[in-house]
Amino acid sequence: MTKTVLCHCEDVEIDELYSAVKQGYGDIETLKRYTGIGTGKCQGKCCLVQTLRILASLDTPAERKTAGGDASELMGDPRKIRLPTIRPPLLPMRIDDILEENGERR
Amino acid sequence: MTKTAEIVVIGGGVSGLSCAYNLAKRGVNDIVVLEKGYIGMGATGRCGAGVRQQWGMEENIILARESVKIFERLSGELGFNTFFRQGGYLLLVFDEREFELVSKTVPIQNRLGVPTRLLDTKEVADLVPGINTDGVLAAAYCPTDGFCYPYAVLWGYAEAARRLGVQIRVCTEVTSVSPVGSGRYEVVTPRDTYHTPIVLNVAGARTKDIAAMLGIEIPTEPFRHEIAVTEPLKPFLDPMVISLKKGFYFLQSVRGEVVGGIGDENEPSSFNTKSSPDFLFRYAAALREIFPALGKARIIRQWAGLYDVSPDARPILGTVDGHPGYYHACGFSGHGFMLSPIVARLLSELITAGSTSIPIGGLELSRFSEGSITKDPYVVG
Ligand SMILES: Cc1cc2nc3c(=O)[nH]c(=O)nc-3n(C[C@H](O)[C@H](O)[C@H](O)COP(=O)(O)OP(=O)(O)OC[C@H]3O[C@@H](n4cnc5c(N)ncnc54)[C@H](O)[C@@H]3O)c2cc1C
Repeated sequence: MTKTVLCHCEDVEIDELYSAVKQGYGDIETLKRYTGIGTGKCQGKCCLVQTLRILASLDTPAERKTAGGDASELMGDPRKIRLPTIRPPLLPMRIDDILEENGERR
Repeated sequence: MTKTAEIVVIGGGVSGLSCAYNLAKRGVNDIVVLEKGYIGMGATGRCGAGVRQQWGMEENIILARESVKIFERLSGELGFNTFFRQGGYLLLVFDEREFELVSKTVPIQNRLGVPTRLLDTKEVADLVPGINTDGVLAAAYCPTDGFCYPYAVLWGYAEAARRLGVQIRVCTEVTSVSPVGSGRYEVVTPRDTYHTPIVLNVAGARTKDIAAMLGIEIPTEPFRHEIAVTEPLKPFLDPMVISLKKGFYFLQSVRGEVVGGIGDENEPSSFNTKSSPDFLFRYAAALREIFPALGKARIIRQWAGLYDVSPDARPILGTVDGHPGYYHACGFSGHGFMLSPIVARLLSELITAGSTSIPIGGLELSRFSEGSITKDPYVVG
């Protein structure tokens, strides 16, 4: 069986994405928290666009359910598929560097 | 389309979903939960999900203790791993006043069955390798406190509620609530309108806005609280480490990330949930002071959510005179996650049986018009 890794940081395979969608965790905000996609060290650099591409290719009504209900407004219409909220910092920052930037040396 | 429901729950946070589940478990059919965005979009999905029984007031200790009993069995009950981990809460004591407070309070917690004990600095250092105890006089440690993954709790409640027939509608914002006679309310959303005898208003920081639609005034205020997470590290930290005086909390999630926050006394009341560089600096400084080795760790993400703060920092639960069939739960003031299991049980008792197994009289909205209120000294941030 071949495995296709979608998110290296959080070790998520493509099949896990399909299964999350099937179980009702398919809108991007929920998917991110359910599978961990986009929350690892690279913060989605590697996996998010691929994830969105796959979400956009799903189009049967059964695939449009999210935890507890119809979420077509969140995910059904490919034109509405978007990135999850992007959180700062843009690059992972070492605490020492953050504090140095703020003028607080050790 | 106009539909009917036995109970309409407004808000898909931990309060809404835990109440819906408990109501369904008690035999209510035809429950609808209306959530304006996705499940967990409010405070619940942004919170630290810490669960502690170390409180100052007896009433708070009892509620938290009962919640912990439920959390201990919740994964099994819901058939969903909530990742509840009882690594304890370590409350660091930084001055004489705090020392007096914990020395007075720990025996009360013990009497109520909460196994908190005082630790000296050596015991603190043994419990948490790498912690900097400079300035720390002592600590209060309760080994049965802990934390969950908040989304897992939400999804667990949602799935269990759905199995019991609860309908959960996401992307469905309530735009109006009004009485329509014969003891019914009309709840309007852009999708459907619901007629229902019972409204449960648990819309987090927006609870007061929904209540205002019915002429009910709730004296809560929203305050931004920020939170940040590091890259995953090897497991090194069991307890949640907190300080009342400095207003911080740090935990290491089961994924290894250090998650935490620090309050800001100068934060004005607002609905702002933007992240700020100011928080990042203050948080980084506080974290490195307590864990010097984390200077080398990287922060990967920060975000913010709202505390819905009541005048005495205690929740507002129950009914409102003159509004039969209306119930609410809000004003959790930064500790609504830990109280949600017991609050859901008590509210579902109140709604289905008219009384509660633990008195909640002291938490009704009416307390604010009846004179004196007491604030718990164990509020963080
Ligand atoms: C940074 C941070 C850290 C925290 N840490 C902890 C902690 O460690 N331990 C703890 O116990 N608590 C903590 N809290 C507090 C805790 O998150 C809250 O008390 C709790 O989650 C409240 O749950 P709720 O369901 O009442 O509200 P919410 O989770 O806010 O849910 C309300 C829901 O109602 C929805 N809504 C609003 N208006 C409408 C409308 N008109 N129509 C339909 N839906 C609507 C919202 O979208 C939201 O999803 C923290 C909070 C923050 C912000």
